[in-house]
Amino acid sequence: MDGNLFGAMYAAERSAGDVLLAVAREFSPRIASPSIEMHRDPREILMDLSGLTRLFGDRHTIAAELRRTAADRGLQVRVALAGSRTAARLLVHHRPGVTIVDPGHEAMAVGPLPVEALQIMCGGQTDAGSARQQAGPDDSPDALIQTLRRWGVRTLDAFAALPSADIAARLGQRAVRWQRVACGEDLEPLVPAVPEERFEQALDLEWPIEGLEPLSFVLGRLLEPMSAHLERRDRGAAVLHVRLHLVTRLVHERSLQLPVPMRDARTLRTLLLLDLESHPPPAAIDRVVVAVDPTPGRIVQYSLLTRPLPTPEQLSTLMARLQALMGETRCGAPAVVDSWEPGAFTMKPFAPRELEPFRLVPDDSARSGQAEPQAPSVALRRFRMPVIARVVMDGGQPGRVTTERRGIAGGRVVTCAGPWRTSGGWWVDSAPRAAGARVSAPSRPGTRASWDRDEWDVALADGVTYRIFRERDTEKWFIEGLVD
Amino acid sequence: MAKTSLAVLESALRERKLDRTLSSAVRAGEAAEAGCTPTTVAPLDACLRGGLPRGQLCEVAGAHGSGRTTLALQLLAGVTRQGEMAALVDTNDRLDVASARAAGIDLDRLLWIRGYATAQAEQAQGALSALERAIKALNLVLQAGGFSVVAIDLIDVPAAALKRLPFTTWLRLQRAIEGSDTTCLLLVAEPLARSAGGLTVSLTGRASWVGSGHSRRLSGVAMSARMQSPRRYASGDVAFGALAVDA
Repeated sequence: MDGNLFGAMYAAERSAGDVLLAVAREFSPRIASPSIEMHRDPREILMDLSGLTRLFGDRHTIAAELRRTAADRGLQVRVALAGSRTAARLLVHHRPGVTIVDPGHEAMAVGPLPVEALQIMCGGQTDAGSARQQAGPDDSPDALIQTLRRWGVRTLDAFAALPSADIAARLGQRAVRWQRVACGEDLEPLVPAVPEERFEQALDLEWPIEGLEPLSFVLGRLLEPMSAHLERRDRGAAVLHVRLHLVTRLVHERSLQLPVPMRDARTLRTLLLLDLESHPPPAAIDRVVVAVDPTPGRIVQYSLLTRPLPTPEQLSTLMARLQALMGETRCGAPAVVDSWEPGAFTMKPFAPRELEPFRLVPDDSARSGQAEPQAPSVALRRFRMPVIARVVMDGGQPGRVTTERRGIAGGRVVTCAGPWRTSGGWWVDSAPRAAGARVSAPSRPGTRASWDRDEWDVALADGVTYRIFRERDTEKWFIEGLVD
Repeated sequence: MAKTSLAVLESALRERKLDRTLSSAVRAGEAAEAGCTPTTVAPLDACLRGGLPRGQLCEVAGAHGSGRTTLALQLLAGVTRQGEMAALVDTNDRLDVASARAAGIDLDRLLWIRGYATAQAEQAQGALSALERAIKALNLVLQAGGFSVVAIDLIDVPAAALKRLPFTTWLRLQRAIEGSDTTCLLLVAEPLARSAGGLTVSLTGRASWVGSGHSRRLSGVAMSARMQSPRRYASGDVAFGALAVDA
């Protein structure tokens, strides 16, 4: 006969949780683990051993194997095997050594235990725990135990012998469920704890590979099953890690922080290859390991009313390609900064947001406070590094502008407007910028953070209008840009 | 019999979208069906029958100060305000972000790909020139799709460098966006691509001023445009007058 068989192990040490879990995993995949269910006693573990008799032998052999395996790991444990989890748990807490309950004798086995034993069934994913959840948060067996004590009921078999109808009438349905627990019955089936999954794939290569092209095939072979695994678990990759074990015994490791959870194998492979193109391994590769940090999958609701934006996978791939081509800091969305510094700006990651479905045209607040212009604005073509110029003054105004720069003809000033004096940053004069600061340097030579200058708009005889400025401290002239 | 065969042939060509390749002129209303991207400059849009055609390679050409950049920023502003995405391949890193914002561009929807200024370009990594790099970037953005307008600024690229590009470059770009909702815009000093399906807007302009003496200030750019389109999608001249601005 091979019916239900549950086993419980109990160790005296509070730190024995991991060892208990490891021992239990050697015997059964269906485990209700205290270390996974944090609200239970970590000294105890409960497992489903049904069917194990065909592998190990009778129940005594299984129990002996459990104790021996735990002893091999330096742990002395109590073991209880019974046809119900409730009986196994009650017994393992109150009987030393090994306790074996014959099938159908659970109630008899737990009967001599004191009614206080019900307290251990309080909490956790247990039958009594389920009863507790249904009965409410204050469903502690303490009140019930006190009542039973007043009635002269000392043991579980005495409690089990009371008429259920009378128990229900006097103490409610909650007490009836506790009475079933006292009989060693399981109220609900075991919900096994799912072990923490690792999303990792590795491949040992027979021959070392060099270059990204053969690596591309290897990455594809690793990422496709991983992508399928992620899809089965409805997970996406938040961070993608690749470890390349090199023939020089070094490990070349790269991690990609993905903008959104994604699991498309082709996209992940492209992103990895583009990153490795910028940061290639210094030697041939022996072993490739790819791992991801999983996160819940992305749920997207598309709109029928707005034009769909490219998917994050497409945008990520595009940005990675562009960054590999142009440089990591050369692609993104421009943004103005809160400064009067001429030409100051910053770059942000390009991540356009969807418009609200019923507001097809964004309002002012949605556009970061930008007011819709009433009239077109003249654009300045800015020289990121200002062009050194020679300016001849005539009556306090620029009269002639010349420069060595090819493409700027220079000439007589026909019309001019100015000067407009601006200054700032004097409080950090000559202070170096913080490393990694995203604010681009102003369009002026040197690296000083301060500026003090007079600006002019000048139209030259060739019809082109330039913005020029004079640094007040050095008296040097520069062309900042041209109006186009 | 001959008429029937001709009708069948025309029908087959139309189904396979070959008629546009074979015919020289766009039928009335066809451009409107294909859609266009408004420049948001009303006189110009009226002349262009709504704006620049989508799925085509268009050019804005002109000399320095003619208003090419102003017109391009207006176009980008109109697109981004509609919630669509735009990209600017800035070959020589000339974009003034303050001007872009003043033009009304939703900066979050503008992908800015910065090339290197001339001095930096000489030190840029690899053997690729700034121009080749910019064309590659443009190609990547067009291939990715999803952008309503993709503009490339070739204004400050030396003419000699542009002439060294194979002419098939522009055919390839045209092919990449054909049938898509993307308008590819070239900002150039001289007409360059001469796309069969697109158009060329040649601008002339001059800055205009208000006030006198110390109160004088730049008020805008007076522009006039000449449209050229091999398929007569739009043609003619239009003057916008001075675009009033805050200097």
